[in-house]
Amino acid sequence: MKIAEFKISRYKNIVLPLGGLILLSFLASKSCKIDFSDFGEGIANGTFFITRMFPPDWAAFPDMLQPTFDTILLALLGTFFGTILSLLIAFFAAANLSNPWVRNITRSLISIERSIPELFILLILITAFGLGAVPAIIAIALGCVGMLGKLLADTIEDIPPTLMDSVASIGANKIQIIAFAVMPEIIPNLISYALFRFEVNIRLSVLLGAIGAGGIGYELETSFSLLEYHRAFSALIIVLVLVFSIERLSSFFRNKLKTAIVLK
Amino acid sequence: MSDFKIDLPSAKFKQKATLTSLVILLVALLCSYIKFNPLVIFTEFHFLQEFFVEMFPPNYALFYENEGVGQSILQTLSMAFLGTIFGGSIGFILSFFAANNIFQIPFLRNFSKSFLAMIRVIPSLVVILIFVIAVGPGSFAGVLTLIITTIGVFGKLFTEVLENAEEAPSESIYCVGASHLQVIRYSIIPQVLPAFISNLLYAFDLNMRAAIGLGIFGGGGIGYKLYMAMRVLHYQDATALITMIVLMLLIVENTSNFLRGKLLGEKL
Repeated sequence: MKIAEFKISRYKNIVLPLGGLILLSFLASKSCKIDFSDFGEGIANGTFFITRMFPPDWAAFPDMLQPTFDTILLALLGTFFGTILSLLIAFFAAANLSNPWVRNITRSLISIERSIPELFILLILITAFGLGAVPAIIAIALGCVGMLGKLLADTIEDIPPTLMDSVASIGANKIQIIAFAVMPEIIPNLISYALFRFEVNIRLSVLLGAIGAGGIGYELETSFSLLEYHRAFSALIIVLVLVFSIERLSSFFRNKLKTAIVLK
Repeated sequence: MSDFKIDLPSAKFKQKATLTSLVILLVALLCSYIKFNPLVIFTEFHFLQEFFVEMFPPNYALFYENEGVGQSILQTLSMAFLGTIFGGSIGFILSFFAANNIFQIPFLRNFSKSFLAMIRVIPSLVVILIFVIAVGPGSFAGVLTLIITTIGVFGKLFTEVLENAEEAPSESIYCVGASHLQVIRYSIIPQVLPAFISNLLYAFDLNMRAAIGLGIFGGGGIGYKLYMAMRVLHYQDATALITMIVLMLLIVENTSNFLRGKLLGEKL
């Protein structure tokens, strides 16, 4: 390309947004007080720290079976109750089952719930109920509502109206419509959303464990703060294996479900 | 028709009933194992009620009396922004090395694929605990954590987007003599850019939530302020902060949805 052909205006579409982004990230890093001279030191600290973590404390693994089981159980029960709760709420949030006022109010409640982080639901519940499994299960169950409630309500709204009309025309009341027209339609979607949410909830229950729900997250946090890095590394390995295998398992079952639906 | 027989209840009903009762039994067993009684919500509801009474009225005076609050809101926004921009860009670059149709060295490609898969499973809790030790508590540790998690979530997504890009435009400009880099620049990138930007907007939405949660573990920002307010039992301050957070997240979510709808609507 000759110099004469070079025009800055040709690159206007790239240069302007890029410049804006660079400026914005500069300002943002000012407000976060990011100092890249810390970063070099941080890398040294971090690698030193990671070398300190090797090898994992093999003797700690038997102690951690119980907390791991607790974490899985928290996620499982939370997902179960959360799915039931979201299903009940979804009936009120679907346009074809409830009246417009109720629907809009429920929908906005769902989206408000979605924007409250589960951690703070847990903090509130811990203040009310004390530490332990109870607030964690309730927090996970409530956390499901924001996502599952919306997805299920959308699924219910997609049900063909003829299906519901045909059941209604032979004299079914609301509950019978739900039992015989709505439920059979949404059950495959319900299960696949619940599996996906279970995947999210496993991560969540590890995180919630660290602020007082018990389980493997608590082990991880305490061994970090007690500076028992070898023990922390064993907990870390368990968490990674747990999250990875649950993710594989859940996506395996969801794929199975998808092919089953297609074949049907 | 003498041997005509109607099974009541039907086999299907029996099957359903067995399944339901088994599930209920299992859940009841697990609940009793972990000492969770669902009715506790109703029997101990007065605790929650007393607590809510303590939380009201929210102390909105906090926002103009305490300068730190406004700053921490700005900090959370910047954390999410930086995490999205840097994490998204690094994820974007890495995804080119992991896409089947672009990067032609199988060994390195599998390496970057498994790197992206590995970084995906590391929970943010672990990452922030490590970074807090490495660079000290504060929003810098939060930003680094967000970068790592964004790479994890979006690296794989971008790889899939790249692999789904259409072959025909690339082949046609390859035929007229474009080099490999030019194929990427003039065929692949224009195809994936709208998806990339819309995913970035979504990532910003996710990172806002994550940034608030990370505050508890030493990530700084408004999450830290809220955690502190809860710990020193200033519940009225906490209510004010929670309403602020909800408002902020609602605005971010709706703006991101709106922009994404506009972007995909225009480009597709």
